[in-house]
Amino acid sequence: MDSVRVALMSAMLTLLAFRADAQGTPSPPDASLYFISPSDGATIKGPFWCRFGLRNMGVTHAGDDYPNSGHHHLLIDVDEPLEPTEPIPHDRRHHHFAAGQTEALIELAPGKHTLQLVLGDANHFPFKPPVISKKITVLIVAECPEASSPGDRECNAAAHDPRRSRVGGAH
Amino acid sequence: MPPRTTHADRGLAAPTEVKGTPSMNLTRVAMVSAVLALLSHAAYGQGTPRPKDAELYFISPEDGATVTGTFKVRFGLSKMGVTHGGDAYPNSGHHHLLIDVDQLPDPGEPIPLDKSHLHFGAGETETDLDLPPGEHTLQLELGDANHFPFDPPVVSKRITVTVRAKYTERRRSRHKRLHEPYVNGPNANGWDWNRPQR
Repeated sequence: MDSVRVALMSAMLTLLAFRADAQGTPSPPDASLYFISPSDGATIKGPFWCRFGLRNMGVTHAGDDYPNSGHHHLLIDVDEPLEPTEPIPHDRRHHHFAAGQTEALIELAPGKHTLQLVLGDANHFPFKPPVISKKITVLIVAECPEASSPGDRECNAAAHDPRRSRVGGAH
Repeated sequence: MPPRTTHADRGLAAPTEVKGTPSMNLTRVAMVSAVLALLSHAAYGQGTPRPKDAELYFISPEDGATVTGTFKVRFGLSKMGVTHGGDAYPNSGHHHLLIDVDQLPDPGEPIPLDKSHLHFGAGETETDLDLPPGEHTLQLELGDANHFPFDPPVVSKRITVTVRAKYTERRRSRHKRLHEPYVNGPNANGWDWNRPQR
């Protein structure tokens, strides 16, 4: 049984070595992460669908080290810069989408909020270089203003949902 | 039951083979049994269950949209997750884009792999599509680890898009129509390149 034991130990060691390596998971140079919706500066009433756009990479669930893929993290009102060598924190402001989700229904208190996306690898570490979206600002209001500017079209989240209506499909 | 297609049949890389030294007989037995367990799991991949309220849809383009040249297609998926092909993580699958396909793939068969059934086996959630000018239909279908449809299938509404040629292409064809020599008679301008010149 010695050979089996050795094999097991070596397997564990390789696993350990891999975990240490996981911090610098490389990302393709042309990968980009962005918000499909809402748009930057949007005025929104009520809960809204937040859709995550990812180009030149794939989505997978947490714990899966398939190359060039990761899972989404949504940072709400986070001002601190991202630590590239630390796992992405797990709290009320850092939402993990560990099952490979590509959208979320978000409800926020009225007021100005910032949203940002970060892609995490199998062990929730940022990629190297990090795959981060632009930080966008949304204004949550109790009542939509009169429709005057083109941006107001998406104020009512229901009207912005491409599943429910023909309004709001981004091109 | 029709024979299942293997990885090699579909032009994909075969799963890595397991090799061991003769002194590792026990390990090899364990590995073989593990592989067998995986295989039997694969055979049941046809009836992969899905959440009842899962929904697949197009974020863009809209149904009935007119697009010019190469256009972006974004895949929306609710109440399920995206993963890569070959990964049997529960409640997740990978996208397939059906172009001008009138009949949904047979649920007992893997989704075909050809020009009109695009596979996004690396977990992609969007793509750039370049279609010939004219009207086309697009439909999304989610596939499980073995490229089989879920039970019941997770499919989107079939949408119609009208593709308009790129501006440069339109200019080029117009230029061709008006200015290129036409062997058997005059062109749209009435100019006949074969007419004897004075």
